[in-house]
Amino acid sequence: MKRLGLLAVILFGALLVYGTTDFPDWGDPSSPAATHLSPYYIQHSLHDTAVPNIVTAVLADYRGYDTMFETAVIFTAGLACLFLLRVFITPKETEASGLYRHRATGITLRIGQGGRLPLGTREFERIDSQWVPYDLIIRTACSLVLPFIQLFALYVVAHGHHSPGGGFQGGVIFGAALILFAISHNLRTTLKAMPEKRTNILTGTGVLIYVGTGVLCLLLGGQFLDYAALAGLLGVDPVMARSHGILIVEIGVAIAVMAVMVSLYYNLASAGHMDEGL
Amino acid sequence: MLNITVIVLLFLGLFFFFAGSVGILRFPDFYSRLHPAGKLDSMGLLLTMSAMALYTVGQWNLGAFLTAIKIMLIVVFIYITSPTATHAIVDAGVRAGLTPWIRSDKGTEHDLAA
Repeated sequence: MKRLGLLAVILFGALLVYGTTDFPDWGDPSSPAATHLSPYYIQHSLHDTAVPNIVTAVLADYRGYDTMFETAVIFTAGLACLFLLRVFITPKETEASGLYRHRATGITLRIGQGGRLPLGTREFERIDSQWVPYDLIIRTACSLVLPFIQLFALYVVAHGHHSPGGGFQGGVIFGAALILFAISHNLRTTLKAMPEKRTNILTGTGVLIYVGTGVLCLLLGGQFLDYAALAGLLGVDPVMARSHGILIVEIGVAIAVMAVMVSLYYNLASAGHMDEGL
Repeated sequence: MLNITVIVLLFLGLFFFFAGSVGILRFPDFYSRLHPAGKLDSMGLLLTMSAMALYTVGQWNLGAFLTAIKIMLIVVFIYITSPTATHAIVDAGVRAGLTPWIRSDKGTEHDLAA
Protein backbone atom coordinates (compact mmCIF):
# COMPACT_ATOMS: atom_id res chain seq x y z
CA MET A 1 0.00 0.00 0.00
CA LYS A 2 2.86 2.33 0.90
CA ARG A 3 4.68 1.49 -2.35
CA LEU A 4 1.51 2.08 -4.28
CA GLY A 5 1.21 5.54 -2.73
CA LEU A 6 4.84 6.31 -3.52
CA LEU A 7 4.32 5.15 -7.10
CA ALA A 8 1.28 7.41 -7.46
CA VAL A 9 3.19 10.38 -6.07
CA ILE A 10 6.12 9.81 -8.42
CA LEU A 11 3.80 9.34 -11.41
CA PHE A 12 1.82 12.50 -10.73
CA GLY A 13 4.99 14.42 -9.93
CA ALA A 14 6.50 13.37 -13.22
CA LEU A 15 3.27 14.29 -14.99
CA LEU A 16 3.34 17.77 -13.42
CA VAL A 17 6.99 18.28 -14.36
CA TYR A 18 6.18 17.10 -17.89
CA GLY A 19 3.30 19.58 -17.95
CA THR A 20 5.60 22.50 -17.16
CA THR A 21 7.52 21.93 -20.40
CA ASP A 22 4.54 23.36 -22.29
CA PHE A 23 4.61 26.58 -20.26
CA PRO A 24 5.87 29.73 -21.93
CA ASP A 25 9.36 30.81 -20.89
CA TRP A 26 9.82 32.79 -17.70
CA GLY A 27 8.95 36.42 -18.43
CA ASP A 28 8.33 35.67 -22.13
CA PRO A 29 6.89 38.89 -23.63
CA SER A 30 5.03 36.94 -26.33
CA SER A 31 3.24 34.58 -23.93
CA PRO A 32 -0.57 34.82 -23.84
CA ALA A 33 -0.50 36.27 -20.31
CA ALA A 34 1.79 39.09 -21.36
CA THR A 35 0.07 39.85 -24.68
CA HIS A 36 -3.63 39.85 -23.75
CA LEU A 37 -4.23 39.55 -20.04
CA SER A 38 -1.77 41.85 -18.29
CA PRO A 39 -2.15 44.77 -20.70
CA TYR A 40 -5.93 44.53 -20.29
CA TYR A 41 -5.71 44.78 -16.51
CA ILE A 42 -3.14 47.58 -16.66
CA GLN A 43 -5.19 49.63 -19.14
CA HIS A 44 -8.73 48.97 -17.95
CA SER A 45 -8.73 48.16 -14.22
CA LEU A 46 -8.95 51.80 -13.05
CA HIS A 47 -11.63 52.56 -15.63
CA ASP A 48 -13.60 49.39 -14.82
CA THR A 49 -13.44 49.34 -11.03
CA ALA A 50 -12.19 52.74 -9.82
CA VAL A 51 -9.49 50.94 -7.83
CA PRO A 52 -6.00 52.40 -8.30
CA ASN A 53 -4.29 49.29 -6.94
CA ILE A 54 -4.34 46.83 -9.85
CA VAL A 55 -3.43 43.88 -7.62
CA THR A 56 -6.52 44.41 -5.47
CA ALA A 57 -8.73 44.82 -8.51
CA VAL A 58 -7.47 41.58 -10.04
CA LEU A 59 -7.54 39.68 -6.75
CA ALA A 60 -11.01 40.57 -5.53
CA ASP A 61 -12.87 41.50 -8.70
CA TYR A 62 -11.58 39.91 -11.90
CA ARG A 63 -10.46 36.78 -10.10
CA GLY A 64 -12.84 37.01 -7.17
CA TYR A 65 -13.89 33.39 -7.63
CA ASP A 66 -10.31 32.26 -6.99
CA THR A 67 -10.01 34.42 -3.88
CA MET A 68 -13.31 33.09 -2.57
CA PHE A 69 -11.94 29.58 -2.55
CA GLU A 70 -8.67 30.79 -1.03
CA THR A 71 -10.77 32.04 1.86
CA ALA A 72 -12.54 28.69 1.91
CA VAL A 73 -9.14 26.97 2.10
CA ILE A 74 -8.23 29.03 5.17
CA PHE A 75 -11.63 28.23 6.67
CA THR A 76 -11.04 24.51 6.05
CA ALA A 77 -7.56 24.69 7.57
CA GLY A 78 -8.97 26.27 10.72
CA LEU A 79 -11.71 23.66 10.86
CA ALA A 80 -9.22 20.81 10.39
CA CYS A 81 -7.01 22.13 13.18
CA LEU A 82 -10.05 22.44 15.44
CA PHE A 83 -11.15 18.87 14.82
CA LEU A 84 -7.62 17.46 15.16
CA LEU A 85 -6.58 19.25 18.33
CA ARG A 86 -9.67 20.27 20.26
CA VAL A 87 -10.45 18.02 23.20
CA PHE A 88 -14.22 18.12 23.23
CA ILE A 89 -14.92 16.04 26.31
CA THR A 90 -13.56 17.44 29.56
CA PRO A 91 -14.06 15.53 32.81
CA LYS A 92 -15.98 17.60 35.33
CA GLU A 93 -13.48 17.01 38.14
CA THR A 94 -10.71 18.85 36.36
CA GLU A 95 -12.79 21.99 36.25
CA ALA A 96 -11.52 23.22 39.60
CA SER A 97 -8.13 21.54 39.53
CA GLY A 98 -5.14 23.75 38.98
CA LEU A 99 -3.04 26.31 40.72
CA TYR A 100 -4.61 29.24 42.51
CA ARG A 101 -2.75 32.24 43.90
CA HIS A 102 -3.97 34.17 46.89
CA ARG A 103 -4.03 37.73 45.64
CA ALA A 104 -3.01 39.40 48.90
CA THR A 105 -0.20 37.14 50.06
CA GLY A 106 0.97 35.48 46.87
CA ILE A 107 0.61 32.01 48.40
CA THR A 108 -0.14 29.41 45.75
CA LEU A 109 -2.58 26.58 46.33
CA ARG A 110 -2.93 23.43 44.30
CA ILE A 111 -6.51 22.28 44.13
CA GLY A 112 -6.59 18.62 43.33
CA GLN A 113 -9.22 16.53 41.64
CA GLY A 114 -12.54 16.73 43.42
CA GLY A 115 -11.58 19.76 45.49
CA ARG A 116 -12.95 23.20 44.94
CA LEU A 117 -12.55 26.75 46.16
CA PRO A 118 -15.32 28.47 48.12
CA LEU A 119 -17.83 29.71 45.60
CA GLY A 120 -17.81 33.37 44.68
CA THR A 121 -14.47 34.11 46.29
CA ARG A 122 -12.41 36.83 44.66
CA GLU A 123 -9.38 36.33 46.85
CA PHE A 124 -7.82 33.74 44.60
CA GLU A 125 -6.84 33.90 40.96
CA ARG A 126 -6.16 30.99 38.70
CA ILE A 127 -2.56 30.76 37.44
CA ASP A 128 -0.86 28.51 34.92
CA SER A 129 0.91 25.37 36.08
CA GLN A 130 3.92 26.51 34.06
CA TRP A 131 4.00 29.44 36.42
CA VAL A 132 4.38 32.79 34.74
CA PRO A 133 4.97 35.65 37.17
CA TYR A 134 2.92 38.79 36.92
CA ASP A 135 4.95 41.09 34.69
CA LEU A 136 3.69 44.65 34.87
CA ILE A 137 6.06 46.05 32.24
CA ILE A 138 5.15 43.62 29.47
CA ARG A 139 1.42 43.81 30.19
CA THR A 140 1.40 47.60 30.23
CA ALA A 141 3.53 47.98 27.09
CA CYS A 142 1.42 45.46 25.18
CA SER A 143 -1.83 47.08 26.30
CA LEU A 144 -0.38 50.39 25.14
CA VAL A 145 0.45 49.27 21.60
CA LEU A 146 -2.47 46.88 21.05
CA PRO A 147 -5.04 49.55 20.04
CA PHE A 148 -2.59 50.92 17.49
CA ILE A 149 -1.92 47.48 16.04
CA GLN A 150 -5.66 46.88 15.68
CA LEU A 151 -6.17 50.32 14.16
CA PHE A 152 -3.38 49.62 11.70
CA ALA A 153 -4.99 46.29 10.83
CA LEU A 154 -8.26 48.06 10.00
CA TYR A 155 -6.28 50.62 7.99
CA VAL A 156 -4.62 47.86 6.00
CA VAL A 157 -8.01 46.28 5.26
CA ALA A 158 -9.66 49.55 4.26
CA HIS A 159 -6.69 50.91 2.35
CA GLY A 160 -6.22 47.86 0.14
CA HIS A 161 -7.70 49.84 -2.73
CA HIS A 162 -4.85 52.33 -2.76
CA SER A 163 -1.81 50.63 -1.28
CA PRO A 164 -0.47 47.14 -0.67
CA GLY A 165 -2.79 45.42 1.76
CA GLY A 166 -6.25 43.99 1.89
CA GLY A 167 -8.24 41.39 3.72
CA PHE A 168 -5.61 38.70 4.17
CA GLN A 169 -2.90 41.03 5.46
CA GLY A 170 -5.20 43.07 7.66
CA GLY A 171 -6.80 39.95 9.10
CA VAL A 172 -3.42 38.47 9.94
CA ILE A 173 -2.35 41.69 11.70
CA PHE A 174 -5.58 41.75 13.69
CA GLY A 175 -5.15 38.10 14.66
CA ALA A 176 -1.55 38.78 15.65
CA ALA A 177 -2.76 41.58 17.92
CA LEU A 178 -5.05 39.16 19.74
CA ILE A 179 -2.26 36.59 19.98
CA LEU A 180 0.03 39.27 21.44
CA PHE A 181 -2.66 39.94 24.04
CA ALA A 182 -2.75 36.23 24.86
CA ILE A 183 1.04 36.05 25.18
CA SER A 184 1.37 39.17 27.33
CA HIS A 185 -1.54 38.31 29.61
CA ASN A 186 -2.67 34.70 29.55
CA LEU A 187 -4.93 32.42 27.61
CA ARG A 188 -7.85 32.60 30.04
CA THR A 189 -8.00 36.40 29.92
CA THR A 190 -8.00 36.24 26.15
CA LEU A 191 -10.69 33.58 26.13
CA LYS A 192 -12.83 35.89 28.26
CA ALA A 193 -12.33 38.76 25.83
CA MET A 194 -12.66 36.62 22.72
CA PRO A 195 -14.42 33.34 23.51
CA GLU A 196 -13.72 30.28 21.43
CA LYS A 197 -17.32 30.14 20.29
CA ARG A 198 -17.06 33.64 18.88
CA THR A 199 -13.91 32.88 16.87
CA ASN A 200 -15.58 29.79 15.45
CA ILE A 201 -18.67 31.74 14.47
CA LEU A 202 -16.60 34.56 12.97
CA THR A 203 -14.64 32.05 10.90
CA GLY A 204 -17.82 31.03 9.17
CA THR A 205 -19.18 34.58 9.06
CA GLY A 206 -16.21 35.79 7.02
CA VAL A 207 -16.71 33.16 4.34
CA LEU A 208 -20.45 33.76 4.46
CA ILE A 209 -19.98 37.49 3.79
CA TYR A 210 -17.87 36.68 0.74
CA VAL A 211 -20.20 34.05 -0.68
CA GLY A 212 -23.26 36.07 0.35
CA THR A 213 -22.02 39.04 -1.67
CA GLY A 214 -21.71 36.76 -4.67
CA VAL A 215 -25.18 35.34 -4.18
CA LEU A 216 -26.61 38.83 -3.67
CA CYS A 217 -25.15 39.85 -7.04
CA LEU A 218 -26.82 36.78 -8.50
CA LEU A 219 -30.18 37.71 -6.96
CA LEU A 220 -29.93 41.30 -8.19
CA GLY A 221 -29.62 40.12 -11.76
CA GLY A 222 -25.87 40.10 -12.25
CA GLN A 223 -23.44 37.22 -12.44
CA PHE A 224 -21.90 35.56 -9.40
CA LEU A 225 -19.52 38.08 -7.74
CA ASP A 226 -20.27 40.71 -10.40
CA TYR A 227 -20.35 43.64 -7.97
CA ALA A 228 -21.72 46.03 -10.58
CA ALA A 229 -25.13 44.48 -9.86
CA LEU A 230 -24.98 45.99 -6.37
CA ALA A 231 -25.13 49.52 -7.82
CA GLY A 232 -28.83 50.00 -7.06
CA LEU A 233 -28.51 48.65 -3.55
CA LEU A 234 -25.51 50.82 -2.66
CA GLY A 235 -26.86 53.89 -4.44
CA VAL A 236 -23.78 54.46 -6.60
CA ASP A 237 -22.88 53.97 -10.25
CA PRO A 238 -21.76 50.50 -11.37
CA VAL A 239 -18.05 51.38 -11.41
CA MET A 240 -18.07 52.59 -7.81
CA ALA A 241 -20.23 49.58 -6.90
CA ARG A 242 -17.40 47.34 -8.03
CA SER A 243 -15.02 49.31 -5.82
CA HIS A 244 -17.34 49.02 -2.82
CA GLY A 245 -17.99 45.36 -3.56
CA ILE A 246 -14.26 44.70 -3.32
CA LEU A 247 -14.22 46.37 0.11
CA ILE A 248 -17.14 44.26 1.36
CA VAL A 249 -15.44 41.10 0.19
CA GLU A 250 -12.13 42.15 1.75
CA ILE A 251 -13.87 42.70 5.08
CA GLY A 252 -15.23 39.15 4.87
CA VAL A 253 -11.75 37.80 4.13
CA ALA A 254 -10.28 39.80 7.03
CA ILE A 255 -12.84 38.45 9.50
CA ALA A 256 -12.27 34.86 8.38
CA VAL A 257 -8.47 35.12 8.46
CA MET A 258 -8.46 36.85 11.86
CA ALA A 259 -10.76 34.27 13.41
CA VAL A 260 -8.82 31.34 11.97
CA MET A 261 -5.51 32.77 13.24
CA VAL A 262 -6.88 33.16 16.76
CA SER A 263 -8.59 29.76 16.69
CA LEU A 264 -5.35 28.08 15.55
CA TYR A 265 -3.46 29.80 18.35
CA TYR A 266 -6.00 28.74 20.99
CA ASN A 267 -5.86 25.14 19.87
CA LEU A 268 -2.09 24.92 19.50
CA ALA A 269 -1.18 26.82 22.68
CA SER A 270 -3.50 24.87 24.97
CA ALA A 271 -3.21 21.52 23.17
CA GLY A 272 -6.96 21.65 22.60
CA HIS A 273 -7.97 22.06 26.26
CA MET A 274 -8.76 25.81 26.12
CA ASP A 275 -7.48 25.91 29.67
CA GLU A 276 -3.97 27.20 29.97
CA GLY A 277 -0.90 27.62 27.86
CA LEU A 278 1.64 30.28 27.02
CA MET B 1 22.51 72.63 4.30
CA LEU B 2 19.52 70.34 4.93
CA ASN B 3 21.09 67.64 2.80
CA ILE B 4 24.32 67.81 4.76
CA THR B 5 22.42 67.48 8.06
CA VAL B 6 20.50 64.52 6.66
CA ILE B 7 23.68 62.82 5.48
CA VAL B 8 25.44 63.39 8.81
CA LEU B 9 22.44 62.01 10.73
CA LEU B 10 22.22 58.97 8.45
CA PHE B 11 25.89 58.16 8.85
CA LEU B 12 25.72 58.63 12.61
CA GLY B 13 22.71 56.29 12.69
CA LEU B 14 24.50 53.72 10.57
CA PHE B 15 27.50 53.99 12.89
CA PHE B 16 25.29 53.14 15.84
CA PHE B 17 23.72 50.21 13.99
CA PHE B 18 27.16 48.95 13.01
CA ALA B 19 28.50 49.34 16.55
CA GLY B 20 25.45 47.47 17.79
CA SER B 21 26.12 44.59 15.41
CA VAL B 22 29.78 44.43 16.44
CA GLY B 23 28.70 44.52 20.08
CA ILE B 24 26.33 41.58 19.65
CA LEU B 25 29.19 39.55 18.19
CA ARG B 26 31.90 40.67 20.60
CA PHE B 27 30.27 40.83 24.04
CA PRO B 28 30.90 37.79 26.22
CA ASP B 29 27.47 36.58 27.36
CA PHE B 30 23.73 36.66 26.89
CA TYR B 31 22.92 39.65 29.12
CA SER B 32 25.72 41.91 27.92
CA ARG B 33 24.88 41.12 24.31
CA LEU B 34 21.39 42.47 24.85
CA HIS B 35 22.94 45.77 25.84
CA PRO B 36 24.16 46.72 22.34
CA ALA B 37 21.18 44.98 20.77
CA GLY B 38 18.68 47.08 22.69
CA LYS B 39 20.32 50.45 23.17
CA LEU B 40 22.38 51.02 20.04
CA ASP B 41 19.56 49.92 17.77
CA SER B 42 17.22 52.41 19.43
CA MET B 43 19.74 55.23 19.00
CA GLY B 44 20.51 54.24 15.39
CA LEU B 45 16.80 54.10 14.63
CA LEU B 46 16.20 57.55 16.12
CA LEU B 47 19.01 59.08 14.05
CA THR B 48 18.16 57.42 10.72
CA MET B 49 14.43 58.02 11.09
CA SER B 50 14.88 61.68 12.01
CA ALA B 51 17.17 62.01 8.98
CA MET B 52 14.38 60.64 6.78
CA ALA B 53 11.76 62.83 8.43
CA LEU B 54 13.98 65.88 7.96
CA TYR B 55 14.53 65.00 4.31
CA THR B 56 10.78 64.69 3.76
CA VAL B 57 9.99 67.94 5.57
CA GLY B 58 12.43 69.66 3.21
CA GLN B 59 9.72 69.70 0.53
CA TRP B 60 7.67 72.16 2.59
CA ASN B 61 4.11 71.01 2.05
CA LEU B 62 1.39 69.50 4.18
CA GLY B 63 1.68 66.00 2.73
CA ALA B 64 5.40 65.87 3.40
CA PHE B 65 4.82 67.11 6.92
CA LEU B 66 2.28 64.34 7.58
CA THR B 67 4.69 61.76 6.19
CA ALA B 68 7.39 63.06 8.54
CA ILE B 69 5.02 62.70 11.48
CA LYS B 70 4.30 59.11 10.45
CA ILE B 71 8.03 58.39 10.25
CA MET B 72 8.53 59.76 13.74
CA LEU B 73 5.58 57.64 14.95
CA ILE B 74 7.64 54.57 13.95
CA VAL B 75 10.30 55.79 16.38
CA VAL B 76 7.71 56.23 19.14
CA PHE B 77 6.36 52.71 18.72
CA ILE B 78 9.79 51.12 18.49
CA TYR B 79 10.77 53.03 21.65
CA ILE B 80 7.83 51.45 23.43
CA THR B 81 8.23 47.92 22.12
CA SER B 82 12.01 47.48 21.84
CA PRO B 83 12.84 48.00 25.55
CA THR B 84 9.87 45.81 26.44
CA ALA B 85 11.20 43.05 24.21
CA THR B 86 14.67 43.39 25.74
CA HIS B 87 13.11 43.25 29.21
CA ALA B 88 11.14 40.12 28.30
CA ILE B 89 14.24 38.40 26.92
CA VAL B 90 16.29 39.22 30.03
CA ASP B 91 13.40 37.98 32.16
CA ALA B 92 13.34 34.72 30.24
CA GLY B 93 17.10 34.41 30.65
CA VAL B 94 16.88 34.86 34.42
CA ARG B 95 14.07 32.34 34.66
CA ALA B 96 16.01 29.86 32.54
CA GLY B 97 18.83 30.15 35.10
CA LEU B 98 21.52 31.86 33.03
CA THR B 99 24.22 33.34 35.25
CA PRO B 100 25.86 36.62 34.28
CA TRP B 101 29.42 36.55 33.03
CA ILE B 102 32.10 37.77 35.47
CA ARG B 103 35.84 38.29 35.25
CA SER B 104 37.73 36.27 37.86
CA ASP B 105 40.47 37.72 40.09
CA LYS B 106 43.34 36.26 38.11
CA GLY B 107 42.30 38.20 35.04
CA THR B 108 41.19 35.15 33.10
CA GLU B 109 37.73 35.08 31.69
CA HIS B 110 35.34 32.33 32.59
CA ASP B 111 31.66 31.74 32.69
CA LEU B 112 30.00 30.76 35.94
CA ALA B 113 27.55 28.57 34.11
CA ALA B 114 30.30 26.67 32.32
